Amino acid sequence: MSWITVVWSINLGACLTLAAMYLAVWCKQRESWVHLLFSCSAIAAAAISAFELGMMNAQTVERYQALVRWIHVPVWVLMLSFVAFVRLYLHAGRAWLAWSIYGLRTLVLIFNFIFPASINFRAITDIRHFSWAGEMVSLPVGVPNPWGLISSFTLLLLLIFFVDATITVWRRGNWRRALLIGGSMIFGAILAWHVPLVIWGVIEVPFFLGFTYTAIVAAMAYELSNDMGQAARLACELELSDKRLNLAADSADLGLWEWDLSKDEIWVTPTRRAQLGFPVSGKITFEELISRWHADDRDKVRQALRDAIENGRDYEAEFRAVLADGSVRWVAARGRVQVNKQGNPIRLLGVSMDITARKQAELEAARQRHDLAHLARVTTLGELSSSLAHELTHPITAILSNAQAAQRFLDADDVDLNEIREILNDIVTEDQRAGEVIHRLRRLLTKGEPQTYCDDVDLNEVIGDVLKLMRSDLINQNVTVGTDLAQNMPLVTGDRIQLQQVLLNLVLNACEAMADCDSPERQLLIASKSENGTARVSVTDHGRGIPDGKREHVFERFFTTKKEGMGLGLSICRTIISAHRGEIWATSNGEGGASFHFSLPVVSSDALSPASSTVLDGSALTATDASSAGVTAPRVLQGSAANGSEAEELTVSVERLGRKEAALAD
Amino acid sequence: MPPPPGPTVFVVDDDAAVRKAVSRLLRSAGIAVAAFASPTEFLAQYDPATHGCLVLDIAMPGFNGLQLQTALGEKGSILPIIFLTGHGDVSKSVQAMKGGAFDFLTKPVNAKNLFPAVRAAIERDAVARGEQAELSEIHARRDALTPREREVLEHVVGGRLNKQIAADLGITEATVKMHRARVMAKMKVQSVAELARLTERCGIRGTNSLKPAA
Repeated sequence: MSWITVVWSINLGACLTLAAMYLAVWCKQRESWVHLLFSCSAIAAAAISAFELGMMNAQTVERYQALVRWIHVPVWVLMLSFVAFVRLYLHAGRAWLAWSIYGLRTLVLIFNFIFPASINFRAITDIRHFSWAGEMVSLPVGVPNPWGLISSFTLLLLLIFFVDATITVWRRGNWRRALLIGGSMIFGAILAWHVPLVIWGVIEVPFFLGFTYTAIVAAMAYELSNDMGQAARLACELELSDKRLNLAADSADLGLWEWDLSKDEIWVTPTRRAQLGFPVSGKITFEELISRWHADDRDKVRQALRDAIENGRDYEAEFRAVLADGSVRWVAARGRVQVNKQGNPIRLLGVSMDITARKQAELEAARQRHDLAHLARVTTLGELSSSLAHELTHPITAILSNAQAAQRFLDADDVDLNEIREILNDIVTEDQRAGEVIHRLRRLLTKGEPQTYCDDVDLNEVIGDVLKLMRSDLINQNVTVGTDLAQNMPLVTGDRIQLQQVLLNLVLNACEAMADCDSPERQLLIASKSENGTARVSVTDHGRGIPDGKREHVFERFFTTKKEGMGLGLSICRTIISAHRGEIWATSNGEGGASFHFSLPVVSSDALSPASSTVLDGSALTATDASSAGVTAPRVLQGSAANGSEAEELTVSVERLGRKEAALAD
Repeated sequence: MPPPPGPTVFVVDDDAAVRKAVSRLLRSAGIAVAAFASPTEFLAQYDPATHGCLVLDIAMPGFNGLQLQTALGEKGSILPIIFLTGHGDVSKSVQAMKGGAFDFLTKPVNAKNLFPAVRAAIERDAVARGEQAELSEIHARRDALTPREREVLEHVVGGRLNKQIAADLGITEATVKMHRARVMAKMKVQSVAELARLTERCGIRGTNSLKPAA
């Protein structure tokens, strides 16, 4: 076997091997078109080598002519692949040059099959055998086809295209790539010029186009393998950093997650994945993930996610997750939406945190606050009990008198049934009235559960309820009440009973402040108004007012100016109002007396936002308590307790109240 | 509303239901009732000549029951007042008692207690009004006397003899006798004892001693 056959065959084999390798790569990464282009180039280069080998060993004119015609197919594939590769991989080369090459080369291919022999020869008349480097090779003898100049012209364009692209890459600073790929391509494009020279009989060498192109293919393969090496190194580093990240996330008890919106596929850190009972690998869809959340919290999470995706806001939610072992954990999640070039959301990245301990502490604090508020309410109602009993005597008096009147009417000779009917109606009405008094009282006395009494409240209704409750007491104390209520008062979110308690306390305080005044001066004004997105209630008295310098302290726990007072009323008012994200403060009136005001944020139109729906759960309590000193009402809340000691202080208050109750019982 | 003839019970209570029910109960016993929602309303329409009694709620907003009692007292009204009180109105009750309240009934008020109290109050009012009428008749008779006749009257009820009176007044005994007869006629009495009783009721004191030395 001649060395030429061996060398050309090796070249062919090498090209096919490379093509096979990168074709396999492309099969796994379909979007990686450069690998496919490379494979096409390599296959074409292998085919060209095969054709050249065939031509050198061709014994008949017909065979040679067929080979010359058909070699144009791999050449066409090769040139197109090269140009596309440069455009895609190097991001260089002028588009119009590229399109000119595609067009002309395709034209050459078409012409090649139109002409009787090929684009290169009008006809091959003979085959000349000559000795080259110790081997016999065949060369064609015939009339060159002048149309073959187009083919040469495309070769020239290819050279210009390569030079231009190489300069671009070089200028970009990617010198190695410019030298390797650009250089080899320019070199190859120059060497390819031996073909027309041989055809025109200028030089006498066997065609070695296969080798020129193999050099380019080798350079391309080297660059691509470099990329793959780099990718492998990156993958290795990524795995390492992934491990570091997982370790950090696990030790901080954080879960990292990523939601691919187009594929609806969620990735979660392995620990969290295991906790939620998902297998180690495999796709997790959004619905599968949310099925692990507590049923009551799913809508809230969906709403927050929808809000984040549609409006590009940061996602933030607190919810309960039900773990694989059945335990329920509180989780706080935050995330950010990633968008593509068109601005459409493609991915959501986020972190989730186990906040069960914090939540439990918050709930415990909320419960204690609730207990304390209830105790205070019971105590207050105790003080009001005689007035409340009085409030019941009205309907009972009416019922008794009506009933006895009916008895007497029935004893008469001619019974007026209409009168009896009217009496019975009145009795029913009065019984309902008595029932309402009891119902109002019972509502204030029931403890209920924290978090459950959260609805939209009209503060004007609260004022009306409290005035009904206190009617007898106000009459007894000779206090005249005036009201100045805003029309169309906006609603606030909260616990109606606790808000009644606040107002009850403020009105009782105002009455006590006026106890020493002459009767005509015992005037109380309750006003409501809406301003700057808040609803505000003011209670103004004409009493002795608050001494200068004490105004800042009236809301402090155990601060009192009364002989009997425990100093809890106003501090509880403050706690309740703070938990409603509102403010409470006191002012002095010019003509004596004091005003107490509280304002609450108005229900926003998007009532589903997490902030408004969790007003009374622990999170709101902590948020406001932590910030109350600085944010809520700087004028009055200066000495607010730090977050940590809040619960402790509340416990103290409860105990103290408990002792007082015990003392009263003795 | 014009007060009906005969005794009327005035009911003043700010609570409409109680007012209506108590009025109804009284009407069931055949008692004429006039009801008012507030002391002010009552004062505006009250005719002192009407005979009856007042059933008054002690605790009302603004002008309350006690203040009405005081206002009536200042007007010289003798209308008996029955107070309706709730539990725990002790201090107010004491105040009302000092102001001359006729009775106290605790809410819820029972017919068994209300009717006797109302009847007693009406009776008291009737007696008081009778006494008042008699007294004003005596006053009218007394006012018909001339100054000289009144002087003679004072001496007569002072137990002095005609001779002594004549000497004191510097007139003749016959003139004294004439004045004395006129006094008896004008005061419509037969005896000196009767005259003495009347003059005592209208507050005339007898003169039974010598004029102090000038």
